[in-house]
Amino acid sequence: MVSAAPLAVPAAPPILAAQGLGKRFGHFRALSGVTVDFSEGGITAIIGPNGAGKSTFFNLISGAFPPSEGRVLFRGQDITGRPPHHFARMGIAKSFQITNLFPHLSVRENVRVAAQARRVRFAFFRDRAAYPELTERAEALLAEVGLGDRMDRLARELAHGEQRALEIAVALAAEPTLLLLDEPTAGMSPEETRDMMDLVQRLAETRTLILVEHKMKLVMGLCRRLVVLHQGELLAEGSPDDIRAHPEVRRVYLGTRA
Amino acid sequence: MSAPLTRIAAAEDGVPAARPGSGRTGRWLRRAGRHRVALTLAFLLILPWIAPYQALAVTILVLGLYALGFNLLFGYTGLLSFGHAAFLGGGAYGCGIAIVRYGLHPVLALVAGTLLATLIAAAMGVLAIRTRGIYFAMTTLALSMCVYYGFYQAESFTGGENGLRGINVPSLTLPGLRLSLLDPIVKYYAVLAVVGLAVWLFSRLLSSPFGAALEAIRENESRAQACGYDVRRMKLVAFVLSGALCGLAGALQAIHLSIVPIETMHYSTSGQAVMMALLGGMGTFFGPFVGAATFALLQDGLATLTSHWQLFVGAIFIAFVLFLPLGIWGEVLARLRRAGW
Amino acid sequence: MSGITIGGFPLDLIGLQLVTGIALGAIYVLVGIGLSLIFGLMNVVNFAHGAFFMVGAYVGVFLYGYTGSFWVSLVAAPLAMGLLGLAVERVLVRPLYGRGIDDPLLLTFGLSYVMVESVRIAFGLTGLPFGAPPELRGAVDIGIGYFPLYRLFLIAFSLAVVGALWLFIERTPFGLVIRAGARDPQIVQVLGIEIAKVWLAVFALGCALAGLAGILAAPLQGVTPEMGIPVLAEAFVVTVVGGMGSLAGAVLAGLIVGIVVAMTSLVAPDMTKMAIFALMALVLLVRPRGLLGRAGALG
Repeated sequence: MVSAAPLAVPAAPPILAAQGLGKRFGHFRALSGVTVDFSEGGITAIIGPNGAGKSTFFNLISGAFPPSEGRVLFRGQDITGRPPHHFARMGIAKSFQITNLFPHLSVRENVRVAAQARRVRFAFFRDRAAYPELTERAEALLAEVGLGDRMDRLARELAHGEQRALEIAVALAAEPTLLLLDEPTAGMSPEETRDMMDLVQRLAETRTLILVEHKMKLVMGLCRRLVVLHQGELLAEGSPDDIRAHPEVRRVYLGTRA
Repeated sequence: MSAPLTRIAAAEDGVPAARPGSGRTGRWLRRAGRHRVALTLAFLLILPWIAPYQALAVTILVLGLYALGFNLLFGYTGLLSFGHAAFLGGGAYGCGIAIVRYGLHPVLALVAGTLLATLIAAAMGVLAIRTRGIYFAMTTLALSMCVYYGFYQAESFTGGENGLRGINVPSLTLPGLRLSLLDPIVKYYAVLAVVGLAVWLFSRLLSSPFGAALEAIRENESRAQACGYDVRRMKLVAFVLSGALCGLAGALQAIHLSIVPIETMHYSTSGQAVMMALLGGMGTFFGPFVGAATFALLQDGLATLTSHWQLFVGAIFIAFVLFLPLGIWGEVLARLRRAGW
Repeated sequence: MSGITIGGFPLDLIGLQLVTGIALGAIYVLVGIGLSLIFGLMNVVNFAHGAFFMVGAYVGVFLYGYTGSFWVSLVAAPLAMGLLGLAVERVLVRPLYGRGIDDPLLLTFGLSYVMVESVRIAFGLTGLPFGAPPELRGAVDIGIGYFPLYRLFLIAFSLAVVGALWLFIERTPFGLVIRAGARDPQIVQVLGIEIAKVWLAVFALGCALAGLAGILAAPLQGVTPEMGIPVLAEAFVVTVVGGMGSLAGAVLAGLIVGIVVAMTSLVAPDMTKMAIFALMALVLLVRPRGLLGRAGALG
């Protein structure tokens, strides 16, 4: 595992960089000219009101679809337009906003098959049980996200909050150094939200996290940096204190919500 | 963006086969799942003694292998192909041509047929895999029609409209062994030796990491991709393997019938694979053989009553889609599972 | 004029073959639009589309025998297939919404067996001969030579139908609902329109177009119970070449397929059937989404 990097190593390139990212859907400009650097370690939150382009931005930096303009760099390397499975193999994992699991597989198999993706793919003859390290890893991850007693259930049988946790375990199974989370607390009860935020904080101890969040209050306390999008453009970025004090942010975001 | 929904995703309690890693299956079903090859072979060993007549048992065996190969793609990878006749036909023609035109040993002819089907599957797969979801069904259908017309035109090799005739294999000579295939029981067990091997290989494939990845693709294609699977390549490999299994079935059929009718390659033969997989229960290990037996018995039984048996086959198929989407074996498994077996 | 040749073929022969291709293409256009319309709105591939084509042709031929009027057939065949489509959607397809995307496809596949076999029972295995009606027989000079009147009529009539369909979809309130529904069924719900009724109507419309194509094609080849099978495969080629659910794409691709068939039958008659699929393979390699794919479902 990559340990949490010290706050500022001068020469190291940012773990992820968006350079002038833009996306058009037909005539609709969902995002334009967003340039942001994400440095190694800690949590960065991408926030903004509905329709700000958060999800589009998330999908671009996670490789779900290619940008119409601009580039995505991972540790200085241009990865724009590469297929999604390349992102995973480079160590970028993501969880989806809508629960996105393997519904008819067991909870254990969900994580095991994800862990397998980076190790063995085209093995046609050996039994999958012949790779006990994958099963062990899956079980360890499930324990980490609090699903240790649910491993034999089918993914579709879990409660919503549990599915979100499983979602994270599936993402972690790919051994990411960079973890992207799209609204991890969407649709959760207050208790589930609290558990999820605790989990997010624990995960960030050993990885870099970028998360999209709709609820600004939730992330203010735990993230190191915030990126604020508004109407498809970058509005502001900085520490939580900077953002709180930012007049534009106050106007468009806090103003409309408070 | 979501993966094409499969019948499994749509079904109520659609956990398909007892398979490693799937939870909440009772003790007995788990045990049966571990010995699925042995149980399947046990059924096939006694099949000629319970089938109405022995030639029908061979037909069920061959069709079962055809449905099994189809099920790898439909039931386990979640891809609905309407072009598998090209592989059954490719295997049949490859084997038949090897025997009739080149006088090859039947075992080598089986290999030749399987190889030809594999090549056809690779060529079709490269193109078809570029489309997704429902378009995959349309594209595979169209491409298989192309193969059909190709074989139809290549009359000097395939016999064209009249089919390929004269694939006579009265006996099989192996080192230290001479089997008369004119005896239907000997023929059945000779074919079963090949089918049994294929069933065992198929089971290994399903249990392998690759099989696990295919299930992941069926369950959720975009998720599998985000995990790091090269979904397109894996689908192509599954397509080719599926084609190879169906090709082997075709090669066996050529020897069984001693003729390859051009209809073997026709769209309706592709539809037959779809019907058998659905009647038996897609995504179940034993379902294809149940589906093949059901189909063969239906066809055989109805054909003695009416020349319009296809009317009833179509109606029964519609009823299955509407009311029994898990298929016969899938429904049996689901009920046993609910009962805590 | 007649002195010029291309690849050994006189220019006017090529011109005539081109018009033949357009006439053939007109059939593909009608079949392809019906398929695309249903698919674009409902995400349903109608595997019985070829069977609707065939039954439409039989209904038309049967009524022609009774009334002696091709015009009656031309109205009755699509009408009958539209009604049959209504029943099929309402009774068989509707229970499947919300289930897997493959289910309606499988169901209509089974339905095609029932339809083909029913026609065999009613009209026999061998099919019926059918020629152009007397008022549309003969040939007209179109400048580059004489051309069968019926094929000219086929082109003109299809053009009128496609034009009317275009006006209907672009200029009427119901067309607006169809366009909106193809983009997002929820929008239609928000507008206070029951999407189920729109689906019912569109499924019937698609089937009616298949039936119309069937009776229009009947004078070219006669009718047989199996005539819908190659048409289904060719309609799939049209939708794949034209682009996923695009009506304009279906028109363009239908014409291209027709012309490719006509030109191949001039150069290499044996390869005619293969040429259609080679065209599709080429499009899949170069532009997998189809010629006009993705430009909005009905754009």
